[in-house]
Amino acid sequence: MRLRGLFHLAAQDLAADARGALLNGAAVAVGAAVLVFFLALGAGIADAARRVFPRDARLVEVVPPAVSLSGVLGGGRLDDAAVERLRRIDGVADAWPKLALRVPIAATRPPEGLAVNWPPSLVIQIPALGVPRGFVAQDLAPGAAFEDPGPDGAIPVVLSRRLLEVFNRTIAPAWNVRRLPPGPALVGLQLPVRVGLSMVPQKTEDRVYEGRLVLAGLSDRVPLYAAALPIDAVRRLHREYGKADQGYTAVTLLAARPQDVPAVAATVRRMGLAVDEGERGSAERVGAAVALATGGLALLALVLCALAALAIAQSLFASVRARARDLAVLLAVGARPGDVRALLVVEAGLVGLAGGAVGSGAARLLALAADAALARALPDFPFRPDTLFAFAAWMPLAGIAVAAGAAALGALAPAAAAARIEPARLLS
Amino acid sequence: MIRLRGVVKRYRDGADTLVVLDGLDLDVAPGELVALQGASGSGKSTLLHIVGALDADFDGEAHVAGQDLRALSVAERARFRNSTVGFVFQSFNLLPGLSALENVCLPAWFAGGPAPGRSALAAAGRAALARVGLADRARQRPARLSGGERQRVAVARALFANPRLLLADEPTGNLDAVTGAEIIALFRGLAAEGLTVLVATHEERVTAAADRALFLEGGRVR
Repeated sequence: MRLRGLFHLAAQDLAADARGALLNGAAVAVGAAVLVFFLALGAGIADAARRVFPRDARLVEVVPPAVSLSGVLGGGRLDDAAVERLRRIDGVADAWPKLALRVPIAATRPPEGLAVNWPPSLVIQIPALGVPRGFVAQDLAPGAAFEDPGPDGAIPVVLSRRLLEVFNRTIAPAWNVRRLPPGPALVGLQLPVRVGLSMVPQKTEDRVYEGRLVLAGLSDRVPLYAAALPIDAVRRLHREYGKADQGYTAVTLLAARPQDVPAVAATVRRMGLAVDEGERGSAERVGAAVALATGGLALLALVLCALAALAIAQSLFASVRARARDLAVLLAVGARPGDVRALLVVEAGLVGLAGGAVGSGAARLLALAADAALARALPDFPFRPDTLFAFAAWMPLAGIAVAAGAAALGALAPAAAAARIEPARLLS
Repeated sequence: MIRLRGVVKRYRDGADTLVVLDGLDLDVAPGELVALQGASGSGKSTLLHIVGALDADFDGEAHVAGQDLRALSVAERARFRNSTVGFVFQSFNLLPGLSALENVCLPAWFAGGPAPGRSALAAAGRAALARVGLADRARQRPARLSGGERQRVAVARALFANPRLLLADEPTGNLDAVTGAEIIALFRGLAAEGLTVLVATHEERVTAAADRALFLEGGRVR
């Protein structure tokens, strides 16, 4: 059968039973809308979770074991030799030692050049972690240095992107200070600090001097609770304050591929070291929960599409009975049974396409309404997403395809019945 | 054009079997207008369905337009109906959602070969309508046409693919005397042009216009 004739006949048949077509289209549209809505909701929540728990799937955090007999004997310690051994593990692309700064640093004044209504008595303790340049290289601002500047220079620091979010959404409102501008605008900002000063008087060093930190970038690799400093600067400060070498605090391994991570982690444990699963575990649990919930809701949507397909099947069976004589005429003028089958499937497919398109659009509108309602109902909090939904381009296409597919599937049995019509029994 | 030998058609209804055609023989020459008469249930429509390849469930031999109908596949029978046979029914059987022109052009949608252009198709459809005197009614839906006009649209549809055989089942049964006479005259003219026409009818005026009248009784031609 010629395509033009096929679509023309299908359109005519749909127009002849517009109410039935509308009802079938509505059933499919509901399924498509629910499917697209929940897919976008799942993707949106996954995006929000990734902002809260940003993680590179290739990173493995190695820490000294909590309890180790070998530690008593000098093993289980993260020193340069251990870092080298870790770097040589199969599947490890790089290894970055981390060294926690054991000299307190505190800020008592606002960053230079930034208009923040800093309370006079406010002291902010700054936990710091020394890292090699490679660990944060990808997140350094263009041209920003990340080396130890020596005793008189401003020490470059890289902060967690999440810290800015927490400050703006929690600390700033609580302390009634101004919010900080977006991350890139803060790069180069200098913060006067007092090296050796602790909020806990007993922990303040004998020698306290004025220093400066300069923001070199923002990174998701830096822990929320600490500022990343060049590791050589941390070593220098430890020497200045006579802090004994206690080995590295942790070593971050970069696996060549995400699928290498389990084997790398297993090798690390066999070496008598531990793998810190804290944030990684949280991220994986949240990710799994989101995927599970999205999968369940998508399944529900598919069930709705299947119900729509059944409704279409029932409606088309009735339609075939009502139009049996017209279908027999088609067979009499030369249609093959396959042509009649195709006609019914195309009719259902057109209903499915239209229903899918309407449903996908409705999902978008529902999402806008849900976002607007949440914006009014939820207070401001860190990582609060502007939208709960992430509409990828494939989602409405999937909604339309699933709707059209479900409708066409629903048409198969009625179409087969239509193809079995015997024109000789019906035409007179 | 038509050669049937020993054609038997049975209808089964549960345990009962009704023999409608019982060893029927029939020969019709090209260009002949043949009237088929017989009582209701004598098998006139059944015979037309077999000759027109609408019904392949029969015994015996059936050769129509050089084709052995029993040897044709489902697809070949469809092609045969599309290109070789035109049907005209008592109740017109036009598709109500299509215009007269679209109804006439319907066979073209199922024809093989390259698709004709939209304008060429419409021109052919209008020519077929003009042939039955309905050139000005092309856009009308069947519901807006009189009974006679509907039957003439049905004839135009049957003639659209230039068939070699026209099968008409009580074509004047739903028409008034004047319109029925017009249809009979149309058939007479088509036969004169070389088209073979086989008409199942109860009407004497059709029989009178035919080259030959056959009477079906007891499942055979008398």
